[in-house]
Amino acid sequence: MSFLRAGATGFLLALVIGAAHADEAFVPNQSSGDLTILDLGAMTPAAALPIGGKPAGVAVSRDGARAYVTSPEGHFVSVIDAAERRVLKRIDVGGQPFGVAVSPDGRRLYVADMNGRELLEIDPDGEKTRRVEIGAMPSGVAATPDGRLVIAAARDDNALVVVDAETFRRVATIAVGRHPYGVTIDAGGRRAYTANVESDDVSVIDLAERKLIATAPVGGHPYGVALAKGRAFVANQYAETVSVFDTATFAPLATIKVGEYPESVGASRDGGTIYVTNWFSNDLWSIDAESYKITGKAPTGDGPRAFGAFVRPVD
Amino acid sequence: MSPLAVFRILAVAAALTPLAALAHGATPQKVVETIEIAAPPAKVWAVVGDFQNMSWLPGVVKTQGEGGVTPEIAKRRLFLAGGAVIDERLVQYDDAAMSLRYIIEHVDFAVLPVGNLSATLKVSPAPSGGGSVVEWKSRFYRAFPGGNPPEQYTDEVAIKAVSELFKSGLAALKARVERE
Repeated sequence: MSFLRAGATGFLLALVIGAAHADEAFVPNQSSGDLTILDLGAMTPAAALPIGGKPAGVAVSRDGARAYVTSPEGHFVSVIDAAERRVLKRIDVGGQPFGVAVSPDGRRLYVADMNGRELLEIDPDGEKTRRVEIGAMPSGVAATPDGRLVIAAARDDNALVVVDAETFRRVATIAVGRHPYGVTIDAGGRRAYTANVESDDVSVIDLAERKLIATAPVGGHPYGVALAKGRAFVANQYAETVSVFDTATFAPLATIKVGEYPESVGASRDGGTIYVTNWFSNDLWSIDAESYKITGKAPTGDGPRAFGAFVRPVD
Repeated sequence: MSPLAVFRILAVAAALTPLAALAHGATPQKVVETIEIAAPPAKVWAVVGDFQNMSWLPGVVKTQGEGGVTPEIAKRRLFLAGGAVIDERLVQYDDAAMSLRYIIEHVDFAVLPVGNLSATLKVSPAPSGGGSVVEWKSRFYRAFPGGNPPEQYTDEVAIKAVSELFKSGLAALKARVERE
């Protein structure tokens, strides 16, 4: 940032700001057992960190300082200093930690134990743990922006479970489509969206009413949902597409061909770009959120999962 | 290789092992096998693209199905020598691209020790010579979804079984198409 203080020309200023604001992607690669950090401005790898334990889930803290990666077969969560590209520690949680979310204040981690029926709350510093029963195959997890609620998908119960973050007790169970997987909450904390792998649609939940308000058909075997520009972008693993629908009318807007076995999808902070990870073709593609054109491709490790909020804002 | 050897433990007739259904918490695996065939792509696709006739796969004695080649509608049951069956469903079909994708809806783990298998068969023109390249690729899980799988249900066993199945299938496909 010294260029800025030195008072560069407007042209240079714009260049520096452009570069400095490029988001990053933190992509766990389950087969190669590492984490690829991608510079999403240049669409090039910035770093690779060994993780181990077949890493799959990821959550980047809202301030971008930390990334948390779950290793289902290693039974641990890795705490990563995102700026320094360094694993700070592993937290052994047992079971098969999969979906993960971080509270907005960064002080709590929410980890789904996939074969253990539970959601764990972990203090990443003190490692104190609370548990709540979610049901069969806890998968995707997300926290509301105000930090008051945690939403987890009980995949094999075909339900989303709403957990009060304060008491860490379940306060609602909402029936959705068949096999809900990824969970995404909008910036205003009004709605939760979940991709139903088996019924090929997305369930939209009103969080205040705690009820299902819409079911939007998408492509075959949807995994993840990203939100930008009043639209939902859904990665369809079998169809190898991203479906776009309007979040006001729930009308379909577009179907975008992407790489092989797309799974996770995220939005840039400014909402202008959508990123999708392709598990079989080992890459991440960027998509213009307005024109739906593919704008870039970057290589990952083998078997990128990136299950969760994998985009890191960089200031 | 004998036709029966394709489906792993079929000849052994291993006892059914009760496993929780297809809940997966394990790591998805990849297998990609390819073969070159000295025949034009259209001739190869005429065989590969007929979803309702899997007679080219060693070990399959009969294919019975419905729904033609309509994705999500088309289903087939493969009857194997020895009496086992595999139920499959077509999920993608692109005639122009000569590509189809199917999933296994049900298979006895004693026949094929995998869970949640999806696979793509694609015919492409060979780089030169007018022949074809057939690619058969798959995503699947080991049969045992939890940690510490028993030795007959590990990732390695699942990968080996799928790889051998695809290799023998492609070899038989090549032999059949080149003979015609």
